[in-house]
Amino acid sequence: MRLEGVRKRYGRRSPEVLAGIDLDLEPGRPVVLRGGNGSGKSTLLRIAAGASSPSAGRVVGRPRVVGYVPDRFPAQLRMPVGAYLRHLAAIHGAGPDAVREATELLAEMSFSAGVGTPMLQLSKGNAQKVGLAQALTCGAGLVVLDEPWSGLDAESSPLLSARLDAVAAAGTTVLVADHTAHGPRLAGATVLRVEAGTVRPEEAPPPVDEVTVIELAGDGDPRSAVRSLPPGSESRVVPGPGPASWRLRLRVSSADGDAVLAAAIARGATVLSVRREAVAVPAPPRRRVEARP
Amino acid sequence: MSAIAVSRFLLSDLYRSQRAVVPIIIQAAILAILFGGDPGPLPAPWAASALALYPIAAWLGIVVANTEDPIQRHVTVVAAGGVGRVVGGILTLALAGDVLLSLISVVWPMVATHYPHPPSVVALGLGGHLVCAVTGTAVGLLCARPVVGKVGWSLLAAGTVVVVTGTQSHVPPVGTVVRALTSGGPPGSGAVVGTGLVIAAVLAVLAAGVSAAVALRSG
Repeated sequence: MRLEGVRKRYGRRSPEVLAGIDLDLEPGRPVVLRGGNGSGKSTLLRIAAGASSPSAGRVVGRPRVVGYVPDRFPAQLRMPVGAYLRHLAAIHGAGPDAVREATELLAEMSFSAGVGTPMLQLSKGNAQKVGLAQALTCGAGLVVLDEPWSGLDAESSPLLSARLDAVAAAGTTVLVADHTAHGPRLAGATVLRVEAGTVRPEEAPPPVDEVTVIELAGDGDPRSAVRSLPPGSESRVVPGPGPASWRLRLRVSSADGDAVLAAAIARGATVLSVRREAVAVPAPPRRRVEARP
Repeated sequence: MSAIAVSRFLLSDLYRSQRAVVPIIIQAAILAILFGGDPGPLPAPWAASALALYPIAAWLGIVVANTEDPIQRHVTVVAAGGVGRVVGGILTLALAGDVLLSLISVVWPMVATHYPHPPSVVALGLGGHLVCAVTGTAVGLLCARPVVGKVGWSLLAAGTVVVVTGTQSHVPPVGTVVRALTSGGPPGSGAVVGTGLVIAAVLAVLAAGVSAAVALRSG
């Protein structure tokens, strides 16, 4: 899909919001737009998604099914969340599987309202999750998200990143506007800066690395659950609520997270939480604190 | 298919918001007053109910078109794969309302009064109501979002258009059709109503086109 010389102005005398944008979008290679408020990111996204037409230029090869989430998902409808997802799936031309998948995605993202809650009673974050659920489960060939991480809580943000990575890997074209650190960390992302109605490559993409923070619980000796840790890891044991129980907090590099987690589960530890955390590179030398198991 | 899905989506929310209830009740009240006593032989009494349906249909058109917040509408437009399908869904739902209200308005005096109603007279009455209702829908779409943003201006604009065009008996399609009904359906009334239906349909499609074009330009 391609944007060719796209320009936009809202009215003859108003200034141009977009001043000739050429942009190639490929499946599996997310494009992340950055830029200040009012730089034209949202307008560009609406044109790419097909909600708005360019004043000049054109959009070529837009996939048939598109999922879109605006920067603030307005919840003014009186229908419950479940009905909204059913109707949107029908409008997308997706089957009942899409509704089930959307409901599952909501549960995964710790959606704190019920599917019977009227849309207009949702908080900003919950409304955002409903918006994401309809856009990411409709079988779209193109997903356009405007600041999708901005309204989300800390637990849901990495879930959304993982979901977008999966969607992109499955061959969907992804276009995101983002001012958080999450967008540029999407796998294979191209980061572009929107400024004065034009796009250019972002000069210095912020270098980031990730660690996985794992919280485990168990009884007996924590060393029996986690025998060895990869170099550079941090661990911290605190007593648990029971007489011989413990809680263990591990920070391991994201590459090693899966192996540590799998080993701990195999040895009977209970997983309390897993999340990703960004670390600036080069990382400061990590101090080993407290006892290692 | 998407247009029908959009219609059902909008209907589902209108049912919950109840915003369409007031215009429908007003039309029912007008029918009760018009056909309550002795309205006289058909089709002349239908002139008043058809004329009443004109602003009511415009009001309903505004209600249907304004169901969604403008930003939420972007989501629906993208989901439907084009603004045309969303405006098509709005038009379909408004036209369904027109047909329903026209049928009620035509059947009411047939049941409530003892005047004869041969099929040709009923056809004239139904056609006359549809002309007024569909023209009202066109006016409603032109006076609703995204063409007119604020609902106060929408009602003022629609009211003005309805009064100016509805009260001139020589202005097609509403004025001419109402005149044909008032004068008891003289010969040639069928042609007047038939022409009126074509004009009303063209107006509704044009209004939908303007609404879609403005949505894409201002979106």
